Amino acid sequence: MSRLLDICVYSWSWLATIKIFLVIGCLLWFLLSRGLPTLSKELFFGDAPVLQAIFGQVRVWDALWPACVGTLLLVLLAGLIAVPLGIASGIYLACYASSPFKRILSMSVELLAGTPSIVMGLFGFALILFLRDTFLPEANTSLLLASLCLALLILPYLIFTTQVALESLADEYQLIGPSLGLTQVQTVFHILLPAAGRSILGGVVLAIGRAAEDTAVIMLTGVIANAGLPHGLFGKFEALPFRIYYLAAEYQSPAELNSAYGTALVLLALTGLLYSGAFALHKTLEWQWNQH
Amino acid sequence: MSAFKIDNPVIEVENLRFYYGDSRAIHGVDIAFPEKQVTALIGPSGCGKSTLLRCFNRMNDLIDISRVEGKVLLDGENIYDKSTDIIELRRQVGMVFQKSNPFPKSIYENVIYGLRIAGEKDKKLFEERVETSLKGAALWDEVKDRLHESALGLSGGQMQRLCIARAIAVNPKVILMDEPCSALDPKSTARVEELIGELRENFTIIIVTHNMQQAARVSDNTAFLFEGNLIEYGLTDQLFVKPQNKQTEDYITGRFG
Repeated sequence: MSRLLDICVYSWSWLATIKIFLVIGCLLWFLLSRGLPTLSKELFFGDAPVLQAIFGQVRVWDALWPACVGTLLLVLLAGLIAVPLGIASGIYLACYASSPFKRILSMSVELLAGTPSIVMGLFGFALILFLRDTFLPEANTSLLLASLCLALLILPYLIFTTQVALESLADEYQLIGPSLGLTQVQTVFHILLPAAGRSILGGVVLAIGRAAEDTAVIMLTGVIANAGLPHGLFGKFEALPFRIYYLAAEYQSPAELNSAYGTALVLLALTGLLYSGAFALHKTLEWQWNQH
Repeated sequence: MSAFKIDNPVIEVENLRFYYGDSRAIHGVDIAFPEKQVTALIGPSGCGKSTLLRCFNRMNDLIDISRVEGKVLLDGENIYDKSTDIIELRRQVGMVFQKSNPFPKSIYENVIYGLRIAGEKDKKLFEERVETSLKGAALWDEVKDRLHESALGLSGGQMQRLCIARAIAVNPKVILMDEPCSALDPKSTARVEELIGELRENFTIIIVTHNMQQAARVSDNTAFLFEGNLIEYGLTDQLFVKPQNKQTEDYITGRFG
């Protein structure tokens, strides 16, 4: 009887695991079959000459290039804002905060993590309305605002992973620094963070992926369909996930729908590229920590 | 408790009480540790021996609900005074833990990492410290040809001796050892015990152990703690052969614990 149960549990968990590959396989196959044929110079640059388009000398219409640049900038800015803040808060929670305060802080972080992205977008939108009504009548939704709201969206992931990574180091590992007469700051930066770096970077990568794909936040905070390349922090911009949404919702011809699949493929590739970049960085960091 | 005369104490503890939140874990302990001798703290699990040990370099400060009352004098200065430099204190009172925990770095780097982070840059000093510390930890002969290989390739016993080398590289006066052999096999344990005997020439050592044979083998003096009280303290030879207290006798003859 218990043997039968054993087999059942084993096969069930095996099937459940296999399903992951199945889903990923189907998804990729579907995207590739519909999107791959559309990948071309035209998909990226439309009628514009490539080099001039890349450097922004010629306006690109109905193509991906501005959205690629927009998404990259968006992710970069959101990361620049959120990563230092998130890691620092994580360090504070793990290494400094006293227990009652820590409980309140952790609850706030959980609350932030549970906030739907559309609410984050609404918050940004409301902020702009407030600014317009009060001391900045010129304020408008923009690349900077969208990055800020995205940063808010990914902040809790960064805080969590940093905190958990630091706290899951063995107790005795946390004590080495003090036992060698190092200050708390020296311990955190030279012993704990390097040891926890691997997991923290994992969190950063996931957070960045999340920022790259989110549509709801940017829809309310500055993305538009035909903005062209972003003109600075306070300009409107295009982004890949919004372009997918827009094409899928308002396509005029089957070809246009197919180009949405192409766009999805590009977004997937871009996220993959970000991941591998983070992975390379992680390897470098680990190598350095193991050296000196 | 019989009065145990210590002529040249390095650490003197006066009426030390330790609290976790509201519950008291140590109830007024008075004890002194003689210079350049090995003193063992023994007692059943939860008797407060590790907690007491961690009071001597203020490691308990890192637990935010803990509180200490009473005095711990290091060379006559109360380390719980407001003016105490905790960093300096911990340099003088080093610590070795139960599980060896070397950094994932080279053997050389492990020994001097503490100094390096603290801002020391002198290469000559590093080389000298690596040699003296590893010799002090009886590890030099085994690793001198592979100083720049990863410390994680060492055996468990070697790693623990490396951690001892790391602790003595900072040049402490006192070394606290919290069950340093409990994760080691008998052969490595014997090697570390032998080392403790050698370290006695230069350092004052206080070792917590649940292994009474070990206490009997390595220490000059032994203190028996039970439920947060110091029950008996004396020369190891006397305490194990002719304990003065009934509880001590029961414990060392294996009637409880």
